[in-house]
Amino acid sequence: MTLFSIAGKNIRKNFTNYFLYFASMIFSIVIYFTFVSLKYDSTIQSASDGSPKISSAFSGAAVVLIIFVAIFIWYSNSFFTRKRKKEVGLYSLLGVRKKQIGRMLFYENFLMGVLALIVGIALGSLLSRFFVSILMKVMGYDAISHFSISAAAIVNTFLVFMVITLITSLQGYRLIYRFKLIELFHADQQHEKEPKASLLTALLSLVFVGLGYWLALQNLMNSKAWAALGLMITPLVILITVILGTYLLFNTLTVTLLKLSRKNKKSYWKGLNIIGTSQLLYRIKGNARTLTIIAVLSATTLTAVGTAYSLYYSNRNAVSQVNPNSMMFINTDRKAASQADKVIQDSPDHKVLYHASLHLLGVDANTSGLDQNSSSDEQTFTVLSNHDFNELAKLQGKDDSLSLQADEAAALDPVYIEGISPQYVGSAITLSGNPVHEKIKFKELKKYSVLNQGTVYSTIVVSDELFAKLKPKSQMMAIEAYGITHQDKAKQLTKELKGILPEKAEFSSFYGDYARGMESSGLMIFMGGFLGLVFLAATGSIIYFKQLTEANSDKERYQILYKIGVKKREIRKTVAKQVLFIFALPLIAGIAHCAVALSALSRLMQTNLVIPVVVCMGIYTCIYLIYYFITVNAYYKIVTNTK
Amino acid sequence: MKNILQAINVNKTFGTRGNIYTALQHINLQIQEGEFVGIMGPSGAGKSTLLNIFSTIDTPTSGEITIDGQNIVTMSEEKLSDFRRNKLGFIFQDYNLLDTLTVKENILLPLALSKVPPAEIEARVNEIADTFGIRQILDKYPYHISGGQKQRAAASRAIVANPSLILADEPTGALDSKSATSLLESLSKLNDSNQSTIMMVTHDAYAASYCKRVIFINDGQLFKELHKQHLTRKEFFQQILEVLASLGGGQHDAV
Repeated sequence: MTLFSIAGKNIRKNFTNYFLYFASMIFSIVIYFTFVSLKYDSTIQSASDGSPKISSAFSGAAVVLIIFVAIFIWYSNSFFTRKRKKEVGLYSLLGVRKKQIGRMLFYENFLMGVLALIVGIALGSLLSRFFVSILMKVMGYDAISHFSISAAAIVNTFLVFMVITLITSLQGYRLIYRFKLIELFHADQQHEKEPKASLLTALLSLVFVGLGYWLALQNLMNSKAWAALGLMITPLVILITVILGTYLLFNTLTVTLLKLSRKNKKSYWKGLNIIGTSQLLYRIKGNARTLTIIAVLSATTLTAVGTAYSLYYSNRNAVSQVNPNSMMFINTDRKAASQADKVIQDSPDHKVLYHASLHLLGVDANTSGLDQNSSSDEQTFTVLSNHDFNELAKLQGKDDSLSLQADEAAALDPVYIEGISPQYVGSAITLSGNPVHEKIKFKELKKYSVLNQGTVYSTIVVSDELFAKLKPKSQMMAIEAYGITHQDKAKQLTKELKGILPEKAEFSSFYGDYARGMESSGLMIFMGGFLGLVFLAATGSIIYFKQLTEANSDKERYQILYKIGVKKREIRKTVAKQVLFIFALPLIAGIAHCAVALSALSRLMQTNLVIPVVVCMGIYTCIYLIYYFITVNAYYKIVTNTK
Repeated sequence: MKNILQAINVNKTFGTRGNIYTALQHINLQIQEGEFVGIMGPSGAGKSTLLNIFSTIDTPTSGEITIDGQNIVTMSEEKLSDFRRNKLGFIFQDYNLLDTLTVKENILLPLALSKVPPAEIEARVNEIADTFGIRQILDKYPYHISGGQKQRAAASRAIVANPSLILADEPTGALDSKSATSLLESLSKLNDSNQSTIMMVTHDAYAASYCKRVIFINDGQLFKELHKQHLTRKEFFQQILEVLASLGGGQHDAV
């Protein structure tokens, strides 16, 4: 029997153990392959109007994936080797040379790597077409039918994973040289000591996490802490305190709490609680590092995917904030404008909801009256009359109106951010364009606009009286604004209008921004989603392996319990409880971290992110739960297998 | 006196057709309340199989076994767990203490499983710890105490729930002679004062000499039975050695 055939046999015999690892690896390869295919595929490049964004985005994502997968494989490998210490020890005792054992482990790992690679590429070739159609859908493109698998992608994937497999396999080969024979043989007999935990460190963990959260939830602009630490340092401080806090939390707080729960004899001395609690107590400390990594990884994944999904989800909202009219342009050329009007009116796919023609003024102003951080006191404003504002607001279905008198004005700022944007209400500015000289007072602030931001400057509304006074003295713009049905599908119409209208018309459309938003956030959600799934699969299988190793060393304990009359049903229950503890801790920490990060983000973005974030967390938790059930089942099978 | 254990015509075979190995053959056995019975025999005689069957963790191929009035052969898996918990106490050669629990927690485990109130648990544990002289080490962990102490802790766990029958599997197998003597004396005392019923499997004639009755098994069949009656322990020990010598497998133990 050659070493190679022993290696093959080992894989076959241990396949149930390796299955999850194998599956995670295949999954990573499939995703990597898809990303690389997208990078090389020319049809997508042309579909995205030749923007180089996609290709570079996928290159970046592929690099992140490689790094992560390399770490995952390396970790799992050292883990498997450690798990088989005793077997290796036996080989060693029987006189097999370390070199040969190392080579056997190398073969095993290498075989698995190659197998995963072949299956991964095959599956990838089948599935990438499907993934691409998902991408096209989320980016708002029509599905393309002629996506083909490129040989370059196959070669790239093959080479990259071959290198990773080789390196990690060498790692397995080297690992054997680090153990002493006695260590290998008595691996299982090392007694675990009861962990110590100081109350002080436990409290410290809470302080750290609390501090991180507090900092993250501060208002960026007027927080003293942020000002003191600086905008660059503070996020780093948050990151460090939260990660350190999480680690200490898992390392000591859980131990302290479990020890405290032991004091309550009524519940501790009841049924199998005594077993579950003490078992956890012994194990949690050794798991703290893994749990921290998983918590941080979960938080990162959730935050990234949550952000991407939020952007995607709120795209329509954000776009209609800056484009309240489906189409808007400056009537610079009478002929072009009437031609454009005809095109819009005649469009077979869209009905015109309204068409408004109005006049705007462009006025320079001295803004020193606004407590603004901007460097210049001079700014050009677009001025709208009170009457036109009310009319447009009504056409756009906004249940709002203004009634301004004399020198009163209202500011329209759809991207208003508390603390960053100027404090309008109550302050005064001077319209100072030559020959205008009028002082106006802001009476109201509307956090929306009725004009498309792509066409105009910052907009203020003035009383009809003042407007009439300004009109002859200022630069005037004739504006055409349209509202149409199915504005998010106006690809053709937008293209036509762009061709008709001159550059100076400053044409802006809902569709243009909407499509751009869908493209970039769709891309982000696609990459974030799949990267997230890979992370999830990998972290899930890491917990799975760790738990199974523990199950193997707990086997004897459960057999004792079974002999002294514990029912299998009860064993299952206590196993489920213990594993739940290990699974739930990082998930809860991850979700909490993510919730804090996203609520800070949502404040910055001025949008309500609850729905997209909850959807992300829900999906994440569901997949995580599947891993949990698989783990409980496997654990139970190991500890109740009487052979 | 009440019959605690009754085995009628118990057989156990391993393997499939054509390759059958008979481990136990026509075993008929009765153990009465308050007895201290030793089971002896050479390696491979079927001692462990018999003990496993009585422990309800293995089933006989045929035959009937009643323990404390209940037929354990026909019992369901679930009921067997309850039965083991309530009626049987186990002492194993390698102690089988849980190393994540203190000695005290190990001892109270069966009571906790039966959901006995904490106050009662405390009282029972202290009482038993005194019987076995391990009061001082109650809060220590198994890896901090000696083998003899471990086995006494295990014995405490076996009897803490007042089982009908205590099954001991080579309890002195891993102990030095001093610890072994101390454990056997404790078991003997327990048997005398509490009327506890004990069945002990051993291949050590010295350990067996503490029993009131010793049953010899050879090749899966009952071979001979010795009663201590009025004999001193030393005389009984000599008798046991003689039987072992006739069995052929025992010389080793008779050094």
